[in-house]
Amino acid sequence: MSSTSSQDRITRPGAVVTSLIMVPLGLIIGLPFYYVVVNTFKTQAETTASPLALPSTVNFDNYVTVFQNIPVAQAFMNTLIVTVVSVFLMLLIGSMAAFSIIMHASKTMTVLLVLAFLIPGQVTLIPMYRLLTQAGLVDSLQGLIVLYTGGSVFCYFLIVGYMRTLPGEVIEAARIDGAGDGRIFWSIALPLIRPILVTVGVFQTMWVWNDFLTPVVFISSPEKQTLVLQVYKAVGEFSTNWPMFLTLSVIVLIPMVIFFITMQRHIVSGLTAGSVKG
Amino acid sequence: MTLTDPRPVVTPKMSTRSGRGTRWWRAPSSPSGSSPGGNRLTLRLFLVPVIIVFIVLFAIPLVQSIWWSFTDFNGYSAETNFIGLRNYANVFSDPSMLAGLSFTIFFTLGTTILITIFAMPLAVVLNRAFLGRNFVRAIFFFPAIPSVAILGLVWGFILNPLGSGALNSLLSSLAGIGPVPWLSDSTLAQISVIVVGVWTSTGWHSILYLAFLQSIPSDYYEVARIDGASAIQRFFYITLPLLMPAMTVSWLLLMTGGLKVYDLPFTLTRGGPGYSTFTITQTIIQNGVSQAKYGQASALAVIFMLIVGIIVAAQLTLSRRLEGKVS
Repeated sequence: MSSTSSQDRITRPGAVVTSLIMVPLGLIIGLPFYYVVVNTFKTQAETTASPLALPSTVNFDNYVTVFQNIPVAQAFMNTLIVTVVSVFLMLLIGSMAAFSIIMHASKTMTVLLVLAFLIPGQVTLIPMYRLLTQAGLVDSLQGLIVLYTGGSVFCYFLIVGYMRTLPGEVIEAARIDGAGDGRIFWSIALPLIRPILVTVGVFQTMWVWNDFLTPVVFISSPEKQTLVLQVYKAVGEFSTNWPMFLTLSVIVLIPMVIFFITMQRHIVSGLTAGSVKG
Repeated sequence: MTLTDPRPVVTPKMSTRSGRGTRWWRAPSSPSGSSPGGNRLTLRLFLVPVIIVFIVLFAIPLVQSIWWSFTDFNGYSAETNFIGLRNYANVFSDPSMLAGLSFTIFFTLGTTILITIFAMPLAVVLNRAFLGRNFVRAIFFFPAIPSVAILGLVWGFILNPLGSGALNSLLSSLAGIGPVPWLSDSTLAQISVIVVGVWTSTGWHSILYLAFLQSIPSDYYEVARIDGASAIQRFFYITLPLLMPAMTVSWLLLMTGGLKVYDLPFTLTRGGPGYSTFTITQTIIQNGVSQAKYGQASALAVIFMLIVGIIVAAQLTLSRRLEGKVS
């Protein structure tokens, strides 16, 4: 499509009307985010008096205060460790299972994994709480990681679906060259399924990073909080100081926004891939 | 920050097992070179981690949940008695459980219907060329990025029932309306939770529709236009039927996601006022974890699993039929 023709298309009367309706609508949808960001630069009195007005002066006092009073860095590290380790484990376990089943189909295993996929986390929550208590893993980052590895089943389904679409010639060639299954998995299968690993990885990263249910049930020590849990706990502390709470929210949202901007193509493709697994 | 055209890595055809040609799992099973026994063993070993995950995180807890749902187990007393279906009967007489059940269903139906009504036309509009399209796409999609829990907390400030709440102060300065009890009135709180839920997910689902929309060949529309079909006719006779697969996917996600909802109502209202925005998940956590009423909570969990299972099964059957009809 040449640039002139696309220029024509967006200056048609119909397209102009669409712009005139959709852009303001988008601004209304985005208003809550404006509200959040603009109030981080205000004092409490200003926020109460005029929540939506621009700040009279831009000052970063709220940000300084939040960093002084809330161990954001600690929570960030906790979230990062839990997310990286559990997403890595999920991808590894999921792709190993997918490789095994693709190479040597097992009906029983497939049925069991479908079953696991259909069990809502709410059903296993209470037994898992007792189990982790007995294992001494409640209120620990390791406990969270154990719980999140349940996501391997979701990874398995997406990876196995992707593997089915790949040609077999490469594997055959490797076999003829005398490569064992371990070798084929590591140096041929994994590089071939890279696109789906990225897609699933992005999806699962967003899930673990943003998850609230698991930390709120399983974590009680302040030094083991994830970012989302920290924001939740801070509500009580800042219940009367709204700008401070909104500032903390913005700080916590920044990593996800950066992640979104760098990964948006994969997020959108993951959305469609994730939705077609059936 | 722009949102470009969604390009699915995996085409929607993937799940239908069409077109099996030379696939690697059909590769000759007689290994030439390496030891035959060793090959099999390595493949079996590859399943060990997922089997451990299955046993520890799914099988054992599921069996325990089902067993506890028939007992008076409370985690402390030495003896556990089999009490038949009493826990199940209690689910339907305990006000917090009933409230959780009814609001969860209300939330699920409300968000599913509203999001579908908004997301589908939105996708059609976002598929057209207009100035600022990428901005509009990005801004509608953006609420799907941050944690829903944080969005719920932020909306709690916006919808604060006091006059100083952001929305109330906006309303009083624009229209002179007194403070509206958004989250302190039962009905308004339920509606508020649903509206915020719609706000967080409409853009996400419309991008899902958009991805399917872009796979519709443009010739269909050109032929229809030549035959004199109006824009509305084109929507109802081409777009809508061809979006059916997307709709079943979207509904499946909305229904199961809605039934499992916890973050949003809990962070926005803590389940209040009273029990008006209690969810099934919140009830399970409160009874099972905080109060150690394992039997009672497990019974609710099992009922919940059956509801989700029935909906998933119904959806899949329905979608098979619909897709069969359209294609």
